[in-house]
Amino acid sequence: MSKFLQLALGILAAIGGFVDIGDLVFNVVAGATFQYQLLWVVVIGVVGIIVYSEMCGRVAAVSKRPVFDAIRERLGFGVGLGALISSEIVNLMTLAAEVGGMALALQLLSGLPYRVLIVVGIVALAIAIWVLPFEWIERVFGYGGLCLLVFAVAAIKLHPDWGHVANGFVPQMHASEPLVFAYFVVGLLGAAMTPYEVYFYSSGVVEDGWTPKDLGMNKVNSMVGYGLGGFLSFSLMIAAGALFYPLGIEPQFIGTVAMGAQVPLGTIGLLLALIGILFAVGGAAIDTCFSGAYNLAQFFGWEWGKSRRPRDASRFTLAWGVLLALALLVIMTGIDPVMLTEYAVIFSVVALPLTYIPILLVANDSSYMGRYSNGRLANVFGLIYLVVILVVAITAIPLMILTHQGQG
Amino acid sequence: MTRVSDLLGVDVHTESGEKLGRVFDLRGELTSRTLRITGVAVGGLALLERLGIGAPESTERIRTKDVIPWSAVIRADRRGVVVRDDAEERQ
Amino acid sequence: MSKPEQIDLGLGLLDHQLVDSEGRRCGNVDDLELEGLQEGKPRVSAILVGPPVWRGRGRLGRLAAFIARGETVRVPWEEVDEVAAAVQLKKTARELRLGRGDDRARKWVEWIPGS
Repeated sequence: MSKFLQLALGILAAIGGFVDIGDLVFNVVAGATFQYQLLWVVVIGVVGIIVYSEMCGRVAAVSKRPVFDAIRERLGFGVGLGALISSEIVNLMTLAAEVGGMALALQLLSGLPYRVLIVVGIVALAIAIWVLPFEWIERVFGYGGLCLLVFAVAAIKLHPDWGHVANGFVPQMHASEPLVFAYFVVGLLGAAMTPYEVYFYSSGVVEDGWTPKDLGMNKVNSMVGYGLGGFLSFSLMIAAGALFYPLGIEPQFIGTVAMGAQVPLGTIGLLLALIGILFAVGGAAIDTCFSGAYNLAQFFGWEWGKSRRPRDASRFTLAWGVLLALALLVIMTGIDPVMLTEYAVIFSVVALPLTYIPILLVANDSSYMGRYSNGRLANVFGLIYLVVILVVAITAIPLMILTHQGQG
Repeated sequence: MTRVSDLLGVDVHTESGEKLGRVFDLRGELTSRTLRITGVAVGGLALLERLGIGAPESTERIRTKDVIPWSAVIRADRRGVVVRDDAEERQ
Repeated sequence: MSKPEQIDLGLGLLDHQLVDSEGRRCGNVDDLELEGLQEGKPRVSAILVGPPVWRGRGRLGRLAAFIARGETVRVPWEEVDEVAAAVQLKKTARELRLGRGDDRARKWVEWIPGS
């Protein structure tokens, strides 16, 4: 297979894998609440995840250290453990929400009971992880997630006012409900800049033995994959803005989200939307689950990796298994997956500085990075986003409380 | 028995009581058989520098001029590190 | 190695990954044992690994040490082959009594087909 084709396939998988349940919920509800006025925030979020993941990928390729190795080395045991605990809590919440989302999509597709489908979903994920080679997991779930492109088609067919849409890319503030608006800014940024994706990526870079020669690929992967993935987020928001906003509907169910494709495109739209949701969220669940196991193993120095036989990395294997089991317990309590998603995104944003700052430090450390340490451009962006992340982390919980999770 | 975790972060004073800062790190020299401790790094890289503004170009994380040679150390334990009064000039 | 290499103990050694002679990851450098401080000939005498060692690493370290199981393993400095991204050891993890957590956990995993 030619390099170009390989790259294209990798990017396709990345696009389909970009959207997770947090993106689904926040982009759609944002579109339903503020129509197109928050599109500019998605741009900031996508650039943010590109910056973050490029740095982590570079650190991993040059220093051979994935994120949590770098965190423990840089922050020390005590603070690093705090970062680990908060990351694991967020990972678990996110994983449970994703499993719930999967079960809801399966329920709409099959009509079987929700609780049964939760178990089905978890077992299917466990089997996929156990049996499929890594590249196949990424491909299957990535391509399946591409079905979400139906929302792009839906957005066009709904005939939005493209002038308004274009205007949404200009940074703006909503005068009459500033706090709720700000809450969505925080949520959208948190949904775009998901740390588990970055942990997962950097561990993959180390596992695949990337070297400085692969850094060019790293940049392209990040920029094109996430950039085009951001396009999916735009589609969700625009479709929701065109359909739900004029009707004053605030989607609270996955089914309502899927209607964004069904109304303009009929049953085929609904099917593609549900399949897309199932695979995108399922793929995200695997990434989240693994990233939780990676973090633990890397922090404590255990053997880890998909390239090892499960019995040679026993604690790592048990870690992702236990995480799946705990997620099952959490979602079985009947907690609403959409609400759990919002909490997971907000908490993830609060914990983000703890994992971003060490990476920024390591990326600048010439003794780890040699001549591949941050150049001026990387540092300008790195520092801008440090400020963004800190502001968002500090304001997230107050905004969530003040606006009753965006209800106003 | 002293461990490195006992020394990191403890105060560094001169004999006459002037506080120089805290132990930021210990500098060592690695040979094929041993790791000799050669100095004490006091204070630390400025916060901005650690984040990337004006980061040092060299591969040595701590600039040598911030390291007090061990020969100037009088005492080093959990309670603190005491160095000779002329320690700073001797770098 | 012709010229002795400079290493910073905190940033360059502490909390780094340990890798045995077969390339197996077997713990992190949880602390370093120092000798000769009073005699003016200070050196690192051993690497210390294991949950009890975490007690010296701050409040969360003490909490983690309380919850976790395991013993302290003392790896004499002579067992270190090289200090690079990870600390490379001369012997296998088994010989140095490292990585036993993975050994203990193996029985939970190996019964599953395909492990």
